[in-house]
Amino acid sequence: MPRYELALILKTMQRPETAAALRRTVETLMERGAVVRNLENLGEKLLPYKISKHNQKHVTGAYFLLDFYSPPNIIIGLLDHLHRDVDVVRPTVLKKDEPGSAVGGSCCGP
Amino acid sequence: MFQVTCGRSVQAARLLSPRCAVLVEAVRGRKSRTDPVAKSKVGRIKVPPPVDPEEMVALNERYSEYQLIMRALRLEFKEEVLRRKYEEEIGSLAAEKAVQEEEEHRILMAWNNQENQRLLQIRVLRIQKEQEEAERKQLEAAVQREQEQQEHIKEKEREILQLQEDAKNFITLENLDQRIEEALDNPKNYNFAIDKQGRVVKQTVQQ
Repeated sequence: MPRYELALILKTMQRPETAAALRRTVETLMERGAVVRNLENLGEKLLPYKISKHNQKHVTGAYFLLDFYSPPNIIIGLLDHLHRDVDVVRPTVLKKDEPGSAVGGSCCGP
Repeated sequence: MFQVTCGRSVQAARLLSPRCAVLVEAVRGRKSRTDPVAKSKVGRIKVPPPVDPEEMVALNERYSEYQLIMRALRLEFKEEVLRRKYEEEIGSLAAEKAVQEEEEHRILMAWNNQENQRLLQIRVLRIQKEQEEAERKQLEAAVQREQEQQEHIKEKEREILQLQEDAKNFITLENLDQRIEEALDNPKNYNFAIDKQGRVVKQTVQQ
């Protein structure tokens, strides 16, 4: 199965609400047959520009990184679902490259 | 318009012994057949040059002698040519030539056969070598493929083991809450700074 990365920007909320939103997302993923590998928090940061979503203007957002394995056919449905979620400001699914060359890997970040 | 007939044309015979005194002959020049004769030429009668009888007699005698001799010579030569041709094809020369040709043919055929034999030997050797070469290559290729397959299998096995190891760290429904709490407690920062000398600074201020 190919490996994807969900770069999720959540609304700035209190901790229990954020936790609930994350839990909801992960459960949605698992329902659709994905295998979640890791969840990382990139912190609550100032958004590069003001984003309006679900009739709200956001200035800051909580960035999360979620990598998972999934079949490609569910991605569209998943994105659709995430766009409809009120707490999600911007969902982005990217493909993860298989780690092949050592040359390419050492010149980037951590 | 009126062409002077030279020796080669048919009219030459008529000139030498003319039946009628005059000969009117027209050859189409500038004018077509329907054009009238020119005013200066109306009533013109062509008169052949006058003949001297003694001269004519002498000439005729000499000509007849000359032509006789020439004809004889020509016939002699023709006969010689024919005889030579005959000799060549059917006469004495022919048999000798046939024998010679036979001999030559035999020699050439023998030489040809020898050449063929020689080349056959060479060819057989070459083909044998090539076959051996091909077999060897095939074996090598087979061995190579085997090796590659083995490598491949080992690679895949390694990957599987790696993945099995990683699988222990995946998020499941049980450790979901725990992992969420963990993630929220430890924000990770991927930013870094680098200068022209290549010094990397991983510790940056998180906003």
